Amino acid sequence: MIRILVRYSVLFVLTLLVLTALSFVLAYLFPGDVLVNLSGITPENEVQRDALVRQYRLDQSYLIQFWHYLQQLMNGNWGYSFTSGLPLREEVGLALPATIEISTYAMLMALFIGLPVGYYAGIRSYSLSDRTINSVSLISYSVPVFWLALVLILFFSLELGVAPLSGRISLMFDIPSVTGFILIDILLSEHIDHGLALRDALHHLLLPTLAIGTITTAAMIRITRRSVIDVLQKPYIAAARARGLSRPQIFVRHVMRNASLPILPLMAIQITTLITNAMIVETLFSWPGIGNWLIQAIYQRDYPALRIGMLAVSTLVISLTILVDMFNRMLDPGRERFERGAI
Amino acid sequence: MAMLDIKNLTLEINTGDSVIKALDKVSLSVNSGEIRALVGESGSGKSLIVSAISGVLPPQWRITADRMSWNGDNLLSMSVSQRREVMRRDIAVVFQNPLGAMDPSAPLGAQLEESIPNEFIRGTWFWQRSQQRRKIAISTMHKVGIKQHKRYIHAFPHQVSADIVQKFMIAMALVSQPKLLIADDPTRGMEPTTKTQVLKLFTRLNQTRALSILFVSHDLLAIASMSHSMTVLYAGQTVESGRMKHLRKRPLHPYTKALLDSAPSFRTNLPPKSSLPTLDGSIPTLQHMPIGCRLGPRCPRAQRACVSTPAVRRIHDHTYSCHFPLHMEKL
Repeated sequence: MIRILVRYSVLFVLTLLVLTALSFVLAYLFPGDVLVNLSGITPENEVQRDALVRQYRLDQSYLIQFWHYLQQLMNGNWGYSFTSGLPLREEVGLALPATIEISTYAMLMALFIGLPVGYYAGIRSYSLSDRTINSVSLISYSVPVFWLALVLILFFSLELGVAPLSGRISLMFDIPSVTGFILIDILLSEHIDHGLALRDALHHLLLPTLAIGTITTAAMIRITRRSVIDVLQKPYIAAARARGLSRPQIFVRHVMRNASLPILPLMAIQITTLITNAMIVETLFSWPGIGNWLIQAIYQRDYPALRIGMLAVSTLVISLTILVDMFNRMLDPGRERFERGAI
Repeated sequence: MAMLDIKNLTLEINTGDSVIKALDKVSLSVNSGEIRALVGESGSGKSLIVSAISGVLPPQWRITADRMSWNGDNLLSMSVSQRREVMRRDIAVVFQNPLGAMDPSAPLGAQLEESIPNEFIRGTWFWQRSQQRRKIAISTMHKVGIKQHKRYIHAFPHQVSADIVQKFMIAMALVSQPKLLIADDPTRGMEPTTKTQVLKLFTRLNQTRALSILFVSHDLLAIASMSHSMTVLYAGQTVESGRMKHLRKRPLHPYTKALLDSAPSFRTNLPPKSSLPTLDGSIPTLQHMPIGCRLGPRCPRAQRACVSTPAVRRIHDHTYSCHFPLHMEKL
């Protein structure tokens, strides 16, 4: 167990190192002054420039520059945004939790709807209900997420008027950001009507979650169904039937566990899609998440923001992937202990 | 009185463009207290018969039979729950390929405990019941020759050697105290000492508990030493069936003779360094079965009449299907 943890931590640290190296190189590859790309501050005179060059060790070799860059990242000095002039750490700290929050709800939706429906379809494979579930999930899986989000806005916000068009919460509520997750922040904040604020926040959450969650749920249904069908054809299920076990017994004791094991790594692959979808949907709903923030950065040619944004998003994706893979390794007795960690 | 009685079992597989008869009018019966051997080359349909009896064939395969009964009850027409009850208590199956027949994600001990029928467990509280399950499991493990029960009870199938998994498979079959044990190649991949151990266990259970055994194998030596009667299968057709000693002394079908001749242990007069007698050619594939007697093209005694399927003929309890049987002059 400890060896597995060590292996995965080494893998994690090395991957992060490569990513930081990439983001450091970006400062050189982006157009414009390296110093400005790295710090986000445009020096006003030679004195200030020299001070910045010394601060970022730009007068020394690349390796020392990179080492210094790493230290700066560790200390929380991520540079400043061109456009707002605020420290990037603060901006990412506000935007990233919003994306994580919405992705989490979409994932929960996939787990609570996708898993049971997928199991049901797998057991009733090739029946009418299975075919219906399968085609509905295939259709929702192939719908482009931005189109789906637009249709949802058109229908629920503009036609029916049951859900707000954009944003995270009504401007009437002033919620100080503590954790970055709106629902938790509402509960932590004082001097507001918690019930009203929660209901408003949930209304705002509804459409973006639905847009992202539909596609993740569809993927979940398809993965689960396939996995259950595969397991049902295994000889040990036939052997269990020959032992006279009843259908529910076989399902609970043999099908469920064996079908769930391959779902986990496949869901890890879906994480990338999920976060990408979340970032697309954010721009449509003006959700103050990292996707929206990155798009703004691209429009403004905010190179330091792009550099840090890329690092933040990829760190998030890689941490989740490695975590899921590690869990799967610990749960699956079939995987060998000496197998190497992989992303 | 036959416990398991199968007459003219036919299994048809629809491949999309043609219908293949994987089993063609197979007849087989197992009397109570008898060890019946089912012999045939690989691909002759032995395992298909085992699957058909246990009812685990894919639903799209069509099974028809004139008679397929367990103690007089028709296995094909009985309800799912009745069939399950028969499989749970009366018939136990040891499948070929033990590693595939075990759930890879559950410990071996738990799988063995799962096969213990609830009727065997006494006790009001769940911890008493689980304790008793554990006790029965351990004693069954000892019975089939797994001595280090502590080491194996929590192990997963892929962590232990194949013959231990096979023994667990046998233990799982025996733990419900069945009336009929169907053992599909139970000693495959075992070393000779373990093999004798398992075969001895089977013989002992047969003698002490009157357990009937359908022993599916191609290990002729083991079969000859323990079974009372034998059914020979070739390419999905029953070729000959009868008491072991009659078949060995006087095989009527050319295939049975060829099969027995190919085993060196049965030949006392075999000169050293001579080649073993075998039939020419190899077993036909399922898609290209000859019409009539399927042995036809390989049979040394084949004549024109062999293109029509020979009817089953009977001399006392010895049945055979051949137009031109051997040893007829002596009868």
